[in-house]
Amino acid sequence: MEHLAYDIQSGDFGGAGAASRDLKQHLKRIGAESDAVRRAMIAAYEAEMNVVIHTEGGRLEATVSDGQLDVDVVDRGPGIPDVPQAMREGFSTASSEARALGFGAGMGLPNIERNSDRLRVTSAVGDGTRVSFSIWLRPEAADQGARPSSLGIAAELCRDCRHCLAACPTAAVRVRAAQPSVLHHLCVDCTCCITACDPGALTLLDAPDGLAPGADGVLAVPPALLAGFGDHAVDTVLQELRGLGFAEVVSVHPYEDELRHGVFDLAATSALPTPVISPVCPAVVSLVELKFPSLVPHLAPLASPWEALQRDLGERDVTYVVSCPSQRTALLAQQPTAQRRTVTPRLVREAVLPRLAARRRAPDETPAPQSQAAGADDLLVVTGVSHVLAVLEQVEDGRLTGVSSVEPFICDGGCFGSPLLGEDASVAAWRWAAAAGAAPGEARSYERARPYRPRPGIRLDPDMAVAIRKLAELDAETKALPGKDCGVCGAPTCATLAEDIVMGRAVRALCPYVTPEEGNAS
Amino acid sequence: MKLDDIARELGLTELTPKVTGDREAEIERGYASDLLSDVLAHAPAGGVLVTLQVHLNVIAVASHAELAAVIFAGGRRPEHDVCVKAIAEGVSLYVSPADTFDVVGRLSALGVKGNHA
Repeated sequence: MEHLAYDIQSGDFGGAGAASRDLKQHLKRIGAESDAVRRAMIAAYEAEMNVVIHTEGGRLEATVSDGQLDVDVVDRGPGIPDVPQAMREGFSTASSEARALGFGAGMGLPNIERNSDRLRVTSAVGDGTRVSFSIWLRPEAADQGARPSSLGIAAELCRDCRHCLAACPTAAVRVRAAQPSVLHHLCVDCTCCITACDPGALTLLDAPDGLAPGADGVLAVPPALLAGFGDHAVDTVLQELRGLGFAEVVSVHPYEDELRHGVFDLAATSALPTPVISPVCPAVVSLVELKFPSLVPHLAPLASPWEALQRDLGERDVTYVVSCPSQRTALLAQQPTAQRRTVTPRLVREAVLPRLAARRRAPDETPAPQSQAAGADDLLVVTGVSHVLAVLEQVEDGRLTGVSSVEPFICDGGCFGSPLLGEDASVAAWRWAAAAGAAPGEARSYERARPYRPRPGIRLDPDMAVAIRKLAELDAETKALPGKDCGVCGAPTCATLAEDIVMGRAVRALCPYVTPEEGNAS
Repeated sequence: MKLDDIARELGLTELTPKVTGDREAEIERGYASDLLSDVLAHAPAGGVLVTLQVHLNVIAVASHAELAAVIFAGGRRPEHDVCVKAIAEGVSLYVSPADTFDVVGRLSALGVKGNHA
């Protein structure tokens, strides 16, 4: 544990930044993960500038423990009359001198909030303001492959219904003050919270500048998109997608078939423990790495269909229409060059629907669906998060026999079942089967670029002795909570709130069943 | 595109030849803004910033946002102490006589992308 303190002078624009710069050096020295360092710097610098611009001077104190950074910035007034108003982006009371220097745009406190994991602002007019924020250093630091998240959060749409809390298979979602947030070290980039969120506060990040086809542009799509336009045949949809300005439209499905064969081959050689688990769904891969580390050797070391397609498309100008966050994250993890961009199915649907509507409505003939191509008898396809969890439990316990390979999909109905597609999973899958042979393409499977790695997200601490101590605290904390799992505190269960308290992400007083005296004790 | 190539293509005047950072690093992204909080919030690490602000705080912001270089548009030149600070922080500084719009346009033509492209 390390304690640092810096005095900040009012109006000292030249000296501002010294505290945050020194803090940065300390954080780097303890080996904190670079993204956390960057966020800490931005938050600390904004807090520092706030003292310089608005106050009579103050003090920044920082405590660095191995797990987190706590920063306390206290000033000597004048105080903020309306804190929620000050938290709104664009609201500012800065002097013209500050504005001339490029500050005072009303982004300071919102910037701190965006870059910290916990923020508390208390203020008394005439007395002063205290800005306290924390940034978790450990989970990201311990997770070597700290991944960007593809989950978009539109907090203003949140109705505070908290359906997402129970939906998340890894208890990664919290809703506090009608603001959903995600613990990234626990998130597996699946679609469960998106499915649960009716108002659309939780969704898939889109390309900010919309669909921008280049002259030699390729549009890469999932089969579910091609089969998701009612009685418009797959060929028609392909044609109209090209009409949006793409030189070529390719479907990922040949790569799904190739991956399946690749998994069969691996299962036949018995090089891996059985059943071999297909990496077809990156969210399940992430789930295994996080919650079933003992099953990591079962994962076939092959690229996911999208990753394989990405390899074959090389340096071409590709727009990927991804149907879930996990696909987006996987694609962007591979050398994010300027040419590679992902968009949501909704964006593409909105662009192509008018074109389809403008066609003469001679309904395309739907041929009778053919029976599913028979795979190996001992392949188990499992879809839907609860079924995937149940099957992974069975594999882990050695109770699943007679199965040589498992093809798991987080979404109910496989990729056809993503909540981000416009058509019902069963209908789209039926239409796709009926259009068998449409959108033919060549494909192959590839070895995986990045090895699978257990994710340490659910460890309480990288240091086992500390983790053991925290486990005891967790036990005591869980006993102190009512066990009703009501979700009012913003965590999905009492056990997760207990963990939040032990990890410093929450306080016991958030529980509505805890009396004020008990709450203060925590 | 490397910094030296960008400087040559855009006819920039370099103010910090002593910066010993990674001159071979590829500059892939850029950002243009005169609001420093906006720069902090959105500028891409390793990128280049185009701005009209020439005071000392720009260097602090550039350093915190881990920017590789700052181009001052409209022929605006910072004070000497700003350049000294930039050298200490490893941030390269350039001046362009062109205005922000033209500087960004030329960077874009050279393949430097925005934050999300």
